[in-house]
Amino acid sequence: MSEYRELVKNFEKVRSYMREFYVYGFKSRSEYDSKSARSYDDERRRIESWLGDHMGFIRTRDGKNAFISIDSRVSAHNPLYKGLKTKSFTDKDITLHFILFDLLSSPEIKMTLPEILDGLDAYLSAFSSPMLFDESTVRKKLREYINEGIICTERSGKSNLYFRSPETLLPESCDGIHFFSEVMPCGAVGSFLLDKYPDNADKVSFKHHYITSALDSDILVRLFEAMHTKRTVTAVNYSRHSELPCKIYIVPLRVFISVQTGRQHLLAFDLNNGRIKSWRVDYLAEVEIGDKCPSFDNYRELLEKSRRYMWGVNCSKSDRYLETVEFTVFVGDGEEYIVNRLEREKRLGTVEKVDDNHYRFSATVFDTGELLPWIRSFVCRITSIKFSNRTLENRFRDDLRETYRLYGLGGDEE
Amino acid sequence: MIFSELYSAYYNAVAEIITLVISGERDEKRLREAVCDKAFSESVLEVLPSLRSGKWQIITPSLETPIKNKPTLPLTLLQKRWLKAVMLDPRVKLFGIEIEGLEEVEPLFTSEDYLVYDKYLDGDDFEDEGYIIRFRNILKGLRENTPLRITYLSRHGDEVVFCVLPERLEYSEKDDKFRLIARGSRSLTTFNLNRVLRVTAVKGSPPIREKISPPETCSVTLRIRDERNALERCMLHFAHFEKYAERLDNGDYTVRVNYSVDDETEMVIRILRFGPFVEVVEPQSFRELIIDRLKKQMSIKI
Repeated sequence: MSEYRELVKNFEKVRSYMREFYVYGFKSRSEYDSKSARSYDDERRRIESWLGDHMGFIRTRDGKNAFISIDSRVSAHNPLYKGLKTKSFTDKDITLHFILFDLLSSPEIKMTLPEILDGLDAYLSAFSSPMLFDESTVRKKLREYINEGIICTERSGKSNLYFRSPETLLPESCDGIHFFSEVMPCGAVGSFLLDKYPDNADKVSFKHHYITSALDSDILVRLFEAMHTKRTVTAVNYSRHSELPCKIYIVPLRVFISVQTGRQHLLAFDLNNGRIKSWRVDYLAEVEIGDKCPSFDNYRELLEKSRRYMWGVNCSKSDRYLETVEFTVFVGDGEEYIVNRLEREKRLGTVEKVDDNHYRFSATVFDTGELLPWIRSFVCRITSIKFSNRTLENRFRDDLRETYRLYGLGGDEE
Repeated sequence: MIFSELYSAYYNAVAEIITLVISGERDEKRLREAVCDKAFSESVLEVLPSLRSGKWQIITPSLETPIKNKPTLPLTLLQKRWLKAVMLDPRVKLFGIEIEGLEEVEPLFTSEDYLVYDKYLDGDDFEDEGYIIRFRNILKGLRENTPLRITYLSRHGDEVVFCVLPERLEYSEKDDKFRLIARGSRSLTTFNLNRVLRVTAVKGSPPIREKISPPETCSVTLRIRDERNALERCMLHFAHFEKYAERLDNGDYTVRVNYSVDDETEMVIRILRFGPFVEVVEPQSFRELIIDRLKKQMSIKI
């Protein structure tokens, strides 16, 4: 049985726990049945150590439930980024890292591999049982750091010279980096940059701020890389629609981010069934970048054309399958803010004045079902509603009746 | 790779310890504080013992180090690429960020690679020169703790002048707007930046910040019936609030959400979005707000 460590080698395992604790937080230990009890205890202990006071516990009849509760309006820095600063390493990794960058303390210092090895020995002679580094270990680490962009190499005669990359000066004030670390995709990278500042007093806070996407940062980086290089991707999709994870073969086209629901979707061309579909980014894992896709630009253009009929993330095969919806709302005197709401909250479609007290919204989209939550937010003033999809219209009306019953109103609105 | 030891809290903690030791600071308590500050609550059990035992050969058992320079690390390619992506965002001008050395760097993503598809359409105009100047003046006031004179366009179209001490800027991703939270004479006041007309610094020494009570919060308890994925949708939707969830015997769920009193109407609208799958259980006063809207809707024959 391996000893408990605070750091982890693979983030994927702890990613799902963090999400469960944060989004749900009502499951007891016994319900994490797909993993062993030992594994649960270790992950819970790690997350508690990383997140401190954001982690809570409550005892129920089912047992002790762990949950993460964060008011992102109060917490100016996304605490979930801490989870991405927990990669484990070997004793040699950390020792070599600090000595190497001390040897190469400025970009002007250039050393060959043998010179670096000699330098290492000199540093380590301060210890009674010095570590031994062979040539291949150091060369491998140098190659890794060259790929990360922190070490450069150049040829000198028959040897390679290694030196640290030139310094890139960050802005004196960290306010901008802080802001973008919270609102831009892959904001964890901004958080890594903030760690370089001695003080990052917060001048900006956030409202309506969803933070779970932090857990998907590594996935997003790979998806963006695939888009950037116009390549295919294979990934595993842990969809709620199927019991088993499903392998997908896609061309990533664009990430659709919702600031109203906290969800992120990947819009991608599905190479298995020849159409653009959406996948929840938080359900994706094991993203592997594949071959160049010659049709990437065509697929992206197709998505761009489809956007005029997309309220959310649902995309149809062709515009032959379009649906329409229109609803009218009552706007009383002094309630112009309702018209403003329609105008600013509509993502497409039109708002027209019917008379002094009525305004009609209408739209043609792939999936009118995506508008249901928004339309419901106008309940109390909807005077007419019409869907081309009759099933959906019936659902809307049934739901409304059901809501009346829920609150003991029990009437029939028709 | 985002998940790399290069960005790890332990590397940051060790860099801080080396910095302290180089500067002659060897007090055990101070070193422990550095670990707690840079890493996690249990990290002290690992970091200092690993250094002192020679497991990590950077600090000797007698708290000396062969390292000569304060540890620094150049930016990784990933960090540069992310910064390049940031530089393409129109909001970057608000903060006056300029970074040299990124000319040859490819952005990690561009606006073609992602889309925030449901933010409101009447967001602030971040490219308006006047807006940028006012934003920077406010930011300067925040950084320097300077009182500000704000000329504000009221809802009724009047110009009103306030003298305030800026507390913080608040950004809503949904509204795509900035607000200034500032201290007035007795309480915190919120100003929408798109209605701020002028900002000037008030000369004189900064006033003492007296403690002001945080905005009043209250809670609403919801019952969720998990149909059509309502549970996940609801829990994610309210994820950014402080909340506590519980499963009931009948398979339903309850979630108590804490929110600011000022946002009550917004909460009503957000809860209505879920239709019959999310019911307000308590408080009764909040339940009445929903009932009132439902009654009004019932009275309209559609």
